[in-house]
Amino acid sequence: MVKRSGIAILGLLTASAISPATRPRYGGTLRVETRQAPQTQDPPAFLDSGFNITRWEAGHLAVYEADENASGGRPFLDSVEIALGRALRDQSIDLELGKADVIELGPTELRRQPAGRKIWTSSPVRVLALVFSPRVEDARVREALALSVDRAAIHAVLLQRQGEISGALLPQWLTGYAFLFPTTQDLPRARQLAAGARPLSLAPEDPASRAIAERIALNARDAGLNVTVTSQPASADIRLSELRVASSDPAKALAAMAAALGAPEPARLDSAEALFSAERSLLDGFKVIPLIHLPDVYGTAARVRGGPGISPAGDWQFENLWVEGPRP
Amino acid sequence: MIAAVKEWLAVFPTLLFLLPSGASAADDPGGAARELARKTVAFAGRGESVTASWRNLSSLPPGDLAQARAVFESALRESGARAAEGGTVEIRITVSESRQQYLLVGEARKGDDRQTLIAAWKRPAGNAASAPAGVALERRLLWEQPDPILDAVLMPDALLILSPGKLTLYAHRESSFEQRASAPVTPARPWPRDARARLAVNGAAVRAFLPGTLCTGTLQPALTLECHAGDDPWPADAGAPPLLAAFVPGRNFFDGHVVMPTGARKSLAPFFTAGAISERGANYWVLALTSGTTQLLDANFETAGGITGWGSDLAATGAHCGGGSQILATKAGDAREPDSIRAYGLSNRVPVALTAPVDFSGPVTALWSAGGASAIAVVRDLETARYAVYLLTVVCSG
Repeated sequence: MVKRSGIAILGLLTASAISPATRPRYGGTLRVETRQAPQTQDPPAFLDSGFNITRWEAGHLAVYEADENASGGRPFLDSVEIALGRALRDQSIDLELGKADVIELGPTELRRQPAGRKIWTSSPVRVLALVFSPRVEDARVREALALSVDRAAIHAVLLQRQGEISGALLPQWLTGYAFLFPTTQDLPRARQLAAGARPLSLAPEDPASRAIAERIALNARDAGLNVTVTSQPASADIRLSELRVASSDPAKALAAMAAALGAPEPARLDSAEALFSAERSLLDGFKVIPLIHLPDVYGTAARVRGGPGISPAGDWQFENLWVEGPRP
Repeated sequence: MIAAVKEWLAVFPTLLFLLPSGASAADDPGGAARELARKTVAFAGRGESVTASWRNLSSLPPGDLAQARAVFESALRESGARAAEGGTVEIRITVSESRQQYLLVGEARKGDDRQTLIAAWKRPAGNAASAPAGVALERRLLWEQPDPILDAVLMPDALLILSPGKLTLYAHRESSFEQRASAPVTPARPWPRDARARLAVNGAAVRAFLPGTLCTGTLQPALTLECHAGDDPWPADAGAPPLLAAFVPGRNFFDGHVVMPTGARKSLAPFFTAGAISERGANYWVLALTSGTTQLLDANFETAGGITGWGSDLAATGAHCGGGSQILATKAGDAREPDSIRAYGLSNRVPVALTAPVDFSGPVTALWSAGGASAIAVVRDLETARYAVYLLTVVCSG
């Protein structure tokens, strides 16, 4: 600003001067892209409140329109279009070209975002974990792999320090005791346990995680395990999976994870100690090996206002978003 | 989510019940420390010597940690164990935290036996610091509450607060206000997401303009309010007579149809707020349009210029410092960010900032002219989520 005679002069006046309104504006369509591509006949609940689904093309597109009678008032947006099955790289290109307003960002894409990009980040709500097939019956082999993984290198190099290293299923922010689960690499002990192990196959469920799977296979070889990376999760001995923290209530979140892993649901989770005990039981035997807790990360176009449009648990909350654009 | 793993070793019994993990948490560090001491003695056995080491992985202040440690050692003795160096039982205690609670996590060892002991206490709700002072535009906090505030009117001996659910009259008592009466507000249609409303008091009569609803009532002898569906135009400023404007039901803006103080009707672009300003006897209007433009219009509502850097809320004042009147405006930004308000005047039809910004701890959710040199601002504190009403007054000095 220029100061003249003690008075600050504002910017030049023009009849068409536009500065973003601070009050929410009604109207417009929010264009969202995601990797998810559910093929279900009925649409999943991408948006829980404020919008009604009006179009569903399984695996391709979901369109929502504002619910005039929504609790808390009609959302500011007129509609939300969700393009499904979009690769992370394609999403980034669409954001750059102005074809998308909200996209998912992986570690690689996050590094490439221009300065000033609005980023929404949740708490760590996804658990990257190794899950063994029932075919791998030898607990010593499973433990050998657990002790061979260099989580720090994966976190620093492949994930660009995104998320938190953890040996727990539930993240530290949710339970406060995740630090109790060990994460350190112990190759000498792993080599002892791996003696005589048969060759194993490892498959990432998300092709974007292949580099991490290959790093794990490399670590395993250092421990004397012969692990080969494949692209067939259904038939692999080990799957590199993503588990989601489904609730901000740790007891419910652990129960949901147990269900996702096919384990019986835990009982009496009425204290932190009981919860810890149940989670430790779930991890005993190394049938699942948590590696790293990751947040949901989104990049948004400058025209998107009122964010963040996600809850700390990563749920989409678009009712209070609006977009700068044509007049309502 | 991953697919289910078949033939999982049945490590868990059938689900009995699930409760939030905070359900059994203590109320304070002392309670948790006593609980951990009891568990430690149960593990160690009465009469055993216990060596405890501590570390803090949480945001707990050192003073609270020292208190927990002292209570733990005292409770350990009361429970029949001894705290000693080189004890038969070792326990490493970590102070940790989750979003909802603090935890004392004890990793106890007695010979080859190991056990993890946990005691927790609930985290207190955070208290936000008040907004920094030091303003050129005079600011006075009138009222604060957890419920949203849509508008307020300050009277010589009372304060009237309009919330989505009720109209409340507070009597001035010494240096504060105390509730005298309240009346329910019953809008004819649901509130929009960005709820706005306007109060108008004339003697003992009160009117509340709501989207699609007009409420009328009295302040004396009793506070009353009756609401009916209606599209009566709202007073968009504090002029006498005021600019009347049609508010769009279910939205947060005026549709642009106005009745000027002269009685003439005009059709303008949709706007959030409007206010009058004058310079050397010439009158102008300023409109914060829904398009994001702030426009300066002449007395006949013909475009006279544009303004940059202003937000969606502005309010005219009757202050006349120098050769014209002053108007207050929020800054451009995001409705989820801390806002500020400053006073402006015109210099050759160019708005000039006359005061430093008055900063707030959250967005300004309402800004209405209050008559005289003042305006009412409602601010939602981003940390506490409480709503505060401020009286802003332009003071001419020198």
